[in-house]
Amino acid sequence: MASSTTASLAASPAFTFSASTFQKLHPTEYFRKFVSQGVRPDGRLLNSFRPTTVHQGVITTANGSAMVRIGGTTVVCGVKAEVAEPKLDAPDQGYLVPNVDLSPICSSAFRPGPPSEQAQVVSDQINRVLKESNVLDLKDLCIEEGKAVWSLWVDVVCVSYDGNIYDASLTAVMAALANVRIRKPTYEEGVVKVSGVDNTDEDDNSSFKLKLARTPLSASFVLFDTSLTLLADPNFAEEAISEGQISITIDEQGKLCAVSKVGAATTSLTSMRQCVDRARERSQELRAIMNQHQ
Amino acid sequence: MSRLDRTRTSPHQLRPFFSSQNLLNRADGSAQFDFGGSSVICSVVGPAEVKIRDEKLDRATIEIVARPLVGLPGVKDKTLERNIRETLEPLILSGLHPRTGIQIVVQTMKEDGCILSTAFNAAILALLDAGIPLKSILASVTCIIDSRTNQILLDPTIEETTHAKSTHVFVFDNKVSISSINPEDVAMDEDSKEPSHTGILFSDSTGLFTEDEFFECANACFKAAQAVHGFIRTAVSKKLEKEYQQTRA
Repeated sequence: MASSTTASLAASPAFTFSASTFQKLHPTEYFRKFVSQGVRPDGRLLNSFRPTTVHQGVITTANGSAMVRIGGTTVVCGVKAEVAEPKLDAPDQGYLVPNVDLSPICSSAFRPGPPSEQAQVVSDQINRVLKESNVLDLKDLCIEEGKAVWSLWVDVVCVSYDGNIYDASLTAVMAALANVRIRKPTYEEGVVKVSGVDNTDEDDNSSFKLKLARTPLSASFVLFDTSLTLLADPNFAEEAISEGQISITIDEQGKLCAVSKVGAATTSLTSMRQCVDRARERSQELRAIMNQHQ
Repeated sequence: MSRLDRTRTSPHQLRPFFSSQNLLNRADGSAQFDFGGSSVICSVVGPAEVKIRDEKLDRATIEIVARPLVGLPGVKDKTLERNIRETLEPLILSGLHPRTGIQIVVQTMKEDGCILSTAFNAAILALLDAGIPLKSILASVTCIIDSRTNQILLDPTIEETTHAKSTHVFVFDNKVSISSINPEDVAMDEDSKEPSHTGILFSDSTGLFTEDEFFECANACFKAAQAVHGFIRTAVSKKLEKEYQQTRA
């Protein structure tokens, strides 16, 4: 009698969850079930990235622009050139000011008000990649030494947030910078004149493009669980349960421009190498996507 | 070859360390850590009351405040805060103090390169001083690759950093991570002579560098971090010895 009761209890537990309830209650356990089978809940393999699209020139009023979609993450980047006075200690250098905006529009995780820590950190990461990897020679932005230079405001707005904002933002920034056309200015007696009509599409001599020394693109991964499984291109849910994040930024010659690893788990050098190898493949795919739409 | 600061003879030499614990009266724990001309002072308050909005039901809330040498905190300090928090949060056994707050303030006192590394080391010493339970101890070392000689210089000064083609900051903890030792690692260890237990807790590199240079830097910093670990150990044991003598007297 007693043995039959336990058997029936085991067969039908006191209560059951639907899959979505289980996901909400035990997100990590839910993920573990998928990862142990080598897939993720959204159907991706562990090392595959989400479908990515890049569109350039989406904002006609900006000097350069791009929209990047990586799965559910959408960012729009616009570059606006303004004439400004140079700094005294760098009279022949222009400004390149990237800024990432994560407003409540893109996710309920963000509150209105001053920029969140995450937005500031992503802005700073992009700024450091642009400056320290010498992507653009700031001397190219000089109009008249000590008097006037171009100031490029690179604004990234996230429209829809579903993880991996760094990859999306950096891709958008690079695509937008490649898309920039600025009309040639003339400097006469303290006045900067920008001639020509506001038509940036035509290939005439009245405007110039930026000379980008390299195009760094990144690939991000998260470490999941105690087994430290690498998941490429994390979405919002995967970021929330991750044990650590790794981002590798790589240029077209295969040189590394930035490597960052943060979070709880210690990473062995072997998994770092795996990330670099995967990032190399990914940046080539991404470059192919960027050139397709040009 | 002598280094630019003329006190060091080898590119892998670190500047003299200095540390001092328990120097602030009103904090629960504090420490100063110096790498030569760079100095960071760090205070820890907690576990204490926390704002209801920040309260976490199952663990302590860790708050890091970074203060620059001059002026108001900017984007750089936010990044520093984030880096330190993301690294320290999992290291602190915060489950032992649910619904409390631990505030860590990091103030730069002197700046001569490697501020992030100095701040990491100061923060861990301050946490030890405050008696906050920790999972492991970390040690941080910075290195650069010189653009003219392609040499790895450990613990660079600001002057040396101006000639850097890339900058690398690493943090290593003092436990041999079991998860990082798998058969593949050991196999690789034999042919590439890389220490298989090198587990990177935090890494931040910028500039232009190759994959091999990155791993070379990681290994050089790992070796140097062992010296920092040893120093932290001595600092703590000396402090405890002194305290023991004072209580006996």
